[in-house]
Amino acid sequence: MGSPVAERSQSPRLDSKVPSGRLQEKWDIYKNSVSLVSPANKRSHHILVVGSGLAGASAAATLAGLGYNVTCFCIQDSPRRAHSIAAQGGINAAKNYPNDGDTIWRLFYDTIKGGDYRSREANVYRLAQVSNNIIDQAVAQGVPFAREYGGMLSNRSFGGAQVSRTFYARGQTGQQLLLGAYQALSHQVSMGRVKMLPRREMIDLVVANDRACGLIARNLITGELERYAGDAVLLCTGGYGNAYYLSTNAKNSNVTAAWRCYKRGAFFANPCYTQIHPTCIPVSGDYQSKLTLMSESLRNDGRVWVPKDPKDSRAPEMIPEDARDYYLERRYPSFGNLVPRDVASRAAKKECDEGRGVGETRLAVYLDFADSIRRLGEHTIRERYGNLFEMYERITGDNPYKTPMRIYPAVHYTMGGLWVDYELQSTVPGLFVLGEANFSDHGANRLGASALMQGLADGYFVIPYTLGAYLAGTRQSDQVTETHEHFATVEEEAGARIDSMLKNKGDKSPTQFHRELGRLLWDHVGMARNRTDLMSTIDAIENLKEEFWERILVPGSADRYNKNLEFAGRVADFIELGSLMARDALRREESCGGHFREEYQTPEGEAARDDEAFADVAAWEHTEQDPALHLEQLSFENVHLTKRSYK
Amino acid sequence: MNLITALTSPVGRKVLTGATGIGLVAFVIAHMIGNLSYLPGPEAYNGYAHKLLSLGWIFYTIEILLALCFLLHAIIGISIQIRRWQARPVGYKMYKSAGKPSRSGYSARSMIFTGIILLGFLILHLISFKYGPGVAEGYTATLDNGESVRDLHRLMTEKFKEPLYAFGYPIIMILLGMHMRHGVWSALQSLGMMSRRLSPYLYALAAILGVFVAVGFLFVPLYIYFLV
Amino acid sequence: MIINLRVWRQEGPESPGKLVDYTVPEASEHMSFLELLDVLNEQLLADGEEPVEFDSDCREGICGSCGLMVAGIAHGPQKRTAVCQLHMRSFKDGDTITVEPFRARAFPVIRDLVVDRSAFDRIITAHGYVSVTTGSAPDANAIPIPKDTADEAMDYATCIGCGACVAACPNGSASLFTAAKIAHLGLLPQGEVESPQRVTAMVNQMDAEGFGDCSNYAECEAVCPKGISVAGIASMRRAYMKGLLSG
Repeated sequence: MGSPVAERSQSPRLDSKVPSGRLQEKWDIYKNSVSLVSPANKRSHHILVVGSGLAGASAAATLAGLGYNVTCFCIQDSPRRAHSIAAQGGINAAKNYPNDGDTIWRLFYDTIKGGDYRSREANVYRLAQVSNNIIDQAVAQGVPFAREYGGMLSNRSFGGAQVSRTFYARGQTGQQLLLGAYQALSHQVSMGRVKMLPRREMIDLVVANDRACGLIARNLITGELERYAGDAVLLCTGGYGNAYYLSTNAKNSNVTAAWRCYKRGAFFANPCYTQIHPTCIPVSGDYQSKLTLMSESLRNDGRVWVPKDPKDSRAPEMIPEDARDYYLERRYPSFGNLVPRDVASRAAKKECDEGRGVGETRLAVYLDFADSIRRLGEHTIRERYGNLFEMYERITGDNPYKTPMRIYPAVHYTMGGLWVDYELQSTVPGLFVLGEANFSDHGANRLGASALMQGLADGYFVIPYTLGAYLAGTRQSDQVTETHEHFATVEEEAGARIDSMLKNKGDKSPTQFHRELGRLLWDHVGMARNRTDLMSTIDAIENLKEEFWERILVPGSADRYNKNLEFAGRVADFIELGSLMARDALRREESCGGHFREEYQTPEGEAARDDEAFADVAAWEHTEQDPALHLEQLSFENVHLTKRSYK
Repeated sequence: MNLITALTSPVGRKVLTGATGIGLVAFVIAHMIGNLSYLPGPEAYNGYAHKLLSLGWIFYTIEILLALCFLLHAIIGISIQIRRWQARPVGYKMYKSAGKPSRSGYSARSMIFTGIILLGFLILHLISFKYGPGVAEGYTATLDNGESVRDLHRLMTEKFKEPLYAFGYPIIMILLGMHMRHGVWSALQSLGMMSRRLSPYLYALAAILGVFVAVGFLFVPLYIYFLV
Repeated sequence: MIINLRVWRQEGPESPGKLVDYTVPEASEHMSFLELLDVLNEQLLADGEEPVEFDSDCREGICGSCGLMVAGIAHGPQKRTAVCQLHMRSFKDGDTITVEPFRARAFPVIRDLVVDRSAFDRIITAHGYVSVTTGSAPDANAIPIPKDTADEAMDYATCIGCGACVAACPNGSASLFTAAKIAHLGLLPQGEVESPQRVTAMVNQMDAEGFGDCSNYAECEAVCPKGISVAGIASMRRAYMKGLLSG
């Protein structure tokens, strides 16, 4: 066991470029010293933004507003459909409007602690600093956040925090923030500064002179491969949760763009950090195509329980108080139902593994609102969660005002992603990675209402500065056009890959492969992992990859709309990523945040971190053989590493 | 913005349809009340008709305005129908209304038909009455004050003794009621006089008005046919 | 349960289309309608046939990607439900369900059930935004907004841009979509400032895209997955006239 000592040292390839100075002043120091690009020069720079979610749309709109030429790509038919739209609960900011003691420091501290001390202090502090600007910006765009009767913004509390710092718009906060960013983007489109290209999928990155200089996109309507050259590429393509097949991600969410970049030299960091969200609607059958999240905010007013007796088959309303086990409240008296996501998810898994699960599949626990309805009245509950309750009823046919919801954890978010430095630049110069696609701010676990915050922080307030720093250092002579030979080579490779899938004429559909991969990952690289299973999973995925290229069946042709062809390419990349996830999980011989290794737990069954050996970021480099590991050592100068305790 | 462009825009067209529609509704109600003055006898009815004519320029101004309303209302209504065909060149193989809160009942979906029938009727109606037989053809009546006027009372009695008129007219009036049933609500909505709270009341008001006008118009012809 | 489907198949924008009959013998009442189509597609793939193309993404009723005419109704028979959340328990064993794309001249068919709704993006681009650039915002609580106003704005802001309003409208009008954005932004002090320019630009764009006129059928409200009220259309007209009067 244990990794060779040599591996544990800081890799020279991973310079985090964190500015020196006090934590509180680093971002100001950076902004004060960073090179600026003059307005006239901004016009001459062409930026390619891939993805139009919170990170992509906010970055594209902001950069265009500054005067850059922007081309923005999205795989959906409209930039407004990016999956950020599905985020329900809210967005954190250290506004301290409720006067309950919140500060930037506390938001920073909660995020670092929530991430189980596996993120970079400086990045997280910056995130907390700009959080307030995001709320201001969103309100100015017309985002209709919830308000109090006095006309002021309303806040609610969320998992992992003891203050109310979450701003929300019913259960549709992601939708409203995304529409705000989408409208800002549309504004720039109307000014002619952004060219928006929907139904385009980035299928490869073009690197020339050791810089990212463009990309190849597939036009999803005509099937044509298109070349786009730019001075920088901003990857805002979201997370890779769909590797598990069933997740709360949208059907089109995928890792392909990020994976292609990995294969072109960008390091992939911490792929094993995946977040399993505790409150999702349980799986009902094999045909299930995705899982639906019920916002974590429900845990504010809902109480989680299972019957004490596994054989208790009474309807939940019929089970008396003393026969119920409110296990979160019992095990974590101070945070109760509001423990962070990973803790809540594992606790649910434990109850179900021990046979106390409820419902037909026995893979669910109750989330009960009866007490809150008694205390606050049905009206208040309806006002807070009405749309979520409706959604639950539509999907399950049960009325949660009358009977407790059944919930079970599901893959929801991936903290891992392409490695970036303080400037959000990957190991490929000129390739920047924003939002969920990067690994940077959430460590081993993300707190609720922090994804929206990070996506928008990156796009609105970080990249406008850091991109300028990069561009100011480039020369006119570095600019290449679509006629550069590298474009032709990369396009040819991408085309050949598509052709080989189509020509294969095997007997298994992309969905079948995806489902198999998903089952492997969920069972062995899911909520609990162990060495033996991880080793066998790496082999199993290797076999699946071979089988894929032998048996894949893709109907139709490449010169038209062809959903199966799109999916096939994505599944092929998910399979390769799955192997890296397992490898990373195997390497990390500790339990932290979303990564729980059964071998490393406390006697009470809690995660056991190993700060001596693993206070690091594992960044993987693609090679022709096995991926090569590089480490960035995390240093904590401002927070004291404690055992996360929510008791 | 340019007034003409504004009024021919999708919103402008609706505002004009609504405004002209409201004008026409006012006319129809006045006409219906006027018709009811048939009941007290020839003196009342012929006197009422004569008084209208003697308003002089006011009468003619209203007449011109009404004619304009009719014209605009019809032209825009037909253009909306044409745009409707253009907007969906390939139709559905299967289409159903989703039900409440949809307002697309029979009245709403037949607007173009009831509208065209009403237009046709209007022309016939003008030929029969406004430009029908008058003093020159011997339809003369003498009022109590000795004035000699056109005897519209007799013309009306004769026309509605013919079964075609007596039963055709009420059918048209039912169609008018239907047209108003959707039209009144639609006009209020088009003129922006609608909010989520008001909507159900105004929708009900439109129905009441539609029935009221249809019944009011039904009354006189059936009375003449059966009771005079 | 056994479900029979009559699905619109069309090779491309210019090709003629037709309804084709299929049967899914092993449907479940817990399936969503799109999962039923997934199962059909796996079946077709296994039989060497071309799967039915349709758009979908989040499958939780919020992204607005999906949109089908199911049994003659946009998004199917269940109220306030996008087709991705329509479950088969709304149907009976042995039912025959007709599935067609959203039809409008402004929504040309790309293939089978997939249509091009970029006209909606162009309407938003016309002026469906507040002209504010990043960094210039005052403190979020600087302007108090009455709760009722914020709530009403939110009711209109929930539009998912699926296009069901256009699909269901007998006239093929995009008034509800356009009005929802105008009402949402117009209600808030931040958006109200440029309301006259917004309403003119968006209405003109809607016209240019070839959508039909609104005849106040309110069929749009009936099929809207978010139940957006046609009162928004009335307020769009008020804003339009206000703009007209103020020049």
